[in-house]
Amino acid sequence: MLGVRALFGIGLLVTSRGGSVLTHTGACARVASNIYSKHRQACTMANTIKYLGQEEAQHIDEELFNEYSFSVDQLMELAGLSCATAVSKGYPLQSLLRSPPRVLVICGPGNNGGDGLVCARHLKLFGYEPSVLYPKRPNKQLFQNLTTQCEKMDISFLSEMPEADVIDEAYNLVVDAIFGFSFKGAVREPFGDILSKLKKITVPIASVDIPSGWDVEKGCPDGIQPDMLISLTAPKKAANHFKGRYHFLGGRFVPPALEQKYQLNLPQYPGTDCVYQLN
Amino acid sequence: MQFVSLSVFYSKAEVATVETELLRDYRFGQQQLIEIWGHACAIAVTKAFPLSSLSKKQPTLLVVCGPEQNGSIGLVCARHLRIFEYEPTIFYPKRSSQSLHQDFTVQCEKMDIPFLSYLPTEVQLLNDAYNLVIDAILGPETDPKEVKEPYAGMLVTLKQVKIPIVSVDVPSGWDVDEPAKDGINPEVLISLTAPKKCATGFSGKHFLAGRFLPYDIQKKYELNLPEFSGTECVIEL
Repeated sequence: MLGVRALFGIGLLVTSRGGSVLTHTGACARVASNIYSKHRQACTMANTIKYLGQEEAQHIDEELFNEYSFSVDQLMELAGLSCATAVSKGYPLQSLLRSPPRVLVICGPGNNGGDGLVCARHLKLFGYEPSVLYPKRPNKQLFQNLTTQCEKMDISFLSEMPEADVIDEAYNLVVDAIFGFSFKGAVREPFGDILSKLKKITVPIASVDIPSGWDVEKGCPDGIQPDMLISLTAPKKAANHFKGRYHFLGGRFVPPALEQKYQLNLPQYPGTDCVYQLN
Repeated sequence: MQFVSLSVFYSKAEVATVETELLRDYRFGQQQLIEIWGHACAIAVTKAFPLSSLSKKQPTLLVVCGPEQNGSIGLVCARHLRIFEYEPTIFYPKRSSQSLHQDFTVQCEKMDIPFLSYLPTEVQLLNDAYNLVIDAILGPETDPKEVKEPYAGMLVTLKQVKIPIVSVDVPSGWDVDEPAKDGINPEVLISLTAPKKCATGFSGKHFLAGRFLPYDIQKKYELNLPEFSGTECVIEL
């Protein structure tokens, strides 16, 4: 009787980017199992997770889109889902005093803002009541679509940033999706005003990927001090300066080859969870 | 996990109408929806067949993908199963010519997921190599009377395997509105968005996967979907 090896050996070509094209040999049966066993070996090396510099983070992002052919909307969907999931773990519905709890999601002008829009949509599905502040909207189809998706889920969009005391009164939590790992240089309005208000509020802030306004590598001692940080893909060096209660890793889509190339040493996410609690 | 019984099932016409509305009015992207469905599908597979429950030494499984959307959902499902530490192999004989779908293939290849070049008709080979087969061949848009090669042949093979079959959305070869009397017999059905009419009385394990449908649409089509718990995107029905 023919065994497993023959499945790959007899007249079958098994192709994969990692392996080679094979023909009629019994020994070639190993290729598929080799692909997976190599990965298993690599995983058993216990090392600490890598914290990325800004350039490295940008390279990884580019590779995901250019070489691995992911689309922005695919990864943004997974990133936003991770953010919403982390929020629900750190601030469960039942633990918050309002029912449904109200969340202010502040979206910046780039991809970090897009992550925020996806996060808001999932928070709504999870039973929270998000409101979005999206003062500077990029003129790209993706962001317009994400905005429409939120509007059609009855998520309200604010016309201006409320005062700090109004935020404390009206909301249980703020999601900071203003600036991400590409942030450099000076903060342009209206975000300067928004960040100074965020420094005055007492309700917790959950920052997406980088606390907005912080240097992506060095942090910012007099910047906003979020209670939660959701690092996407891998943490950036700024996270070394994070002093809040909850640091989650999200964006569970990194291909093993990419992880190995940059030696990210990502932890093993539990089961099918899309977030991993780092602290 | 909660078990729920449903009273309303979706017809073929409704499936098409809802999807059009999602894309045109709600501005969901097609790749976005396929990612949502494929991810939820993978989670449903892990609930039906947890890693620890698999009988073979390695957690292997075969994902058979058709040429249209159902196949692309299978590709995304395979990718997430890889991330969940399963060992998928893909059989994708006729690749879509749309670049939207081609991206999903590259993503799988770059995850080092092997692609078979043909499906052996010797069923014992499949039974020995894999713990289960994921059927992502034909979806609700297919007319079962017009199933061409190589799919008709593949379905004949799948009808004979002894390992469990998990069908994505609609068991391939079944009519969306009624179960097939001599079609493939999956052990597990993962309905996407809402169950189809052919799933009425399905006797195997039935999951609902995909938590994204706006409330307006649910009300408009009277879908009466059960409530997902916590942050789950899959419900066992």
